[in-house]
Amino acid sequence: MSSTRTRTRPAGRSTGFGGTVAAEWTKLWSVRSTWWTLLAAVLVTAAAAGQLAIYAANANTNDDPTDDRGIVTVGSILIDSMELTQYAVLALGLLAVTSEFTSGTIRTTLQCTPSRGRVLLAKAVVTAAVTFPLGLLLGGVGALVAGPVLGEWGTAPVAGTLRDLLAVAAYLALVGVLALGLGAALRSAVLTLIVLLATLMIVPLSLQEPDITVLNRIADGFPAVAGGHFMAGDVEPYPASAGLLLLVGWAVVALGLGRVALRRRDA
Amino acid sequence: MITLRGLTKRFGSTTAVDALTVDIAPGRVTGFLGPNGAGKSTTMRMILGLDRPTAGQALIGGRAYRELRHPLHEVGALLDAKAIHPARSGRAHLLAMARSNGIPARRVDEVLATVGLDDRAAAKPGRTLSLGMGQRLGIAGALLGDPPVLMFDEPVNGLDPDGVRWVRQLMRLLAGEGRTVFVSSHLMTEMQLTADQLVVIGRGRLLADAPIDEVVAGSAVAVRVRSPHPDGLAKLAERLTAAGATVEAAGPDELTVTGATVDRVGDLAYESGVRLHELSQHGASLERAFMELTAGSVEYAGVPDPVGETR
Repeated sequence: MSSTRTRTRPAGRSTGFGGTVAAEWTKLWSVRSTWWTLLAAVLVTAAAAGQLAIYAANANTNDDPTDDRGIVTVGSILIDSMELTQYAVLALGLLAVTSEFTSGTIRTTLQCTPSRGRVLLAKAVVTAAVTFPLGLLLGGVGALVAGPVLGEWGTAPVAGTLRDLLAVAAYLALVGVLALGLGAALRSAVLTLIVLLATLMIVPLSLQEPDITVLNRIADGFPAVAGGHFMAGDVEPYPASAGLLLLVGWAVVALGLGRVALRRRDA
Repeated sequence: MITLRGLTKRFGSTTAVDALTVDIAPGRVTGFLGPNGAGKSTTMRMILGLDRPTAGQALIGGRAYRELRHPLHEVGALLDAKAIHPARSGRAHLLAMARSNGIPARRVDEVLATVGLDDRAAAKPGRTLSLGMGQRLGIAGALLGDPPVLMFDEPVNGLDPDGVRWVRQLMRLLAGEGRTVFVSSHLMTEMQLTADQLVVIGRGRLLADAPIDEVVAGSAVAVRVRSPHPDGLAKLAERLTAAGATVEAAGPDELTVTGATVDRVGDLAYESGVRLHELSQHGASLERAFMELTAGSVEYAGVPDPVGETR
């Protein structure tokens, strides 16, 4: 053993947060499920964007003149397709932490980096660093599918489409981090997914169903609705920037919950 | 140096670890012994900052684990050999650990070589690792940062005899290099061959903290008596008890006597007119010392099968 001992602490080089991020990066790309999730996200986006584009074109060409939407932007199709695509993407954030509890590696992770906040922040950085460019890629895939399907009923102004792409990427990065924070707080993948489904879809949809102003306003506070207003560039009920801030707020609160749970509970 | 001061962990109304105060010194192998459920793993998890103590503290080189910035350089630990992602290779597992503490990637290859995992074994996904390979991988992880303090929770579980001997030699080597080596086990014989110092707990309480020779020497010497006459044996048992010895029926024709010398037992047998087939003294062993220490603190004691009542 003594012959193989080497100086392992690099002199004068701090490996603080960067090291924790590098470790999380290594973990993410060393399991095959990451690649399957990416593939699933691409396929779901292509299918959803294609289907929504067919609906938009059909509405214009069918016999019913009341549902005609006229010419729609490719970007709006992309944004609508996120309602489905987001579940493939937030699986990345979710699995980054729940798989550690399932396999018991969370103990190894906390042995390497005892600061719970630092571990969670590094996971958030890695999740965002993967989901943001993934969002751009998915936007590109969606546009490539939706454009030809829409044909004469579609338009893709360069500036507007780029803005939509960036908005979609930002939205996916933030729901990815939201899923990560919730996963750290709840530990179980299934439980986290149920809570996410409720928060992103079931509860706001139920609130909007009766179309009562008060309930609609409450629904506007939920992350996916706020993200929808942000991506669509709405001015009502609040400006798009407020929608973005609301979404950031949800992600930050989820991370905070995760940190408290990691610090308080035994690993 | 590991320092435990009044370390206590309660889960609800159960006290898993009860006011442990122990110093685990460098330069020797300290065995951490106790029956299953005695609180060994919980103690180790508290030292690593994974479980929060209800009271007291666990310090490594005077500092709490959660305060360490690059802990792999200070403490290496193997807790659970099965704690690896089912789809991640052993090598990637170690690489992620190394990166988190600024350890160069070539060190991963070094420790893999040290524990005897070749490239093929290190490339296998976690789910396909045998328990023995998992133990070796866990030991590799503990050695990564070349730390002065090492902890191993039941490291020989699942290892073949060669592996067991290898772990034993590794522990001795690490202690010989002046490191603190803290090894838990429920196998007394294993500890007798490996440890210099013993920390024994039962039901979370400290039962002994002494050099292994002292623990063994402190155990009572037993005398075995065998006779073909059950009645005579019963009569002898009565007289021995009256003389202040402790008598246990080891079988239908056999007694185990503690608290009396061989000479005294022989005299009493002669006086009682009991014919003996065996009268022998049994040396102290760690196994015996352990049984005596932990008697009454065993979590899951087996109930003896009442003879003749089965079926």
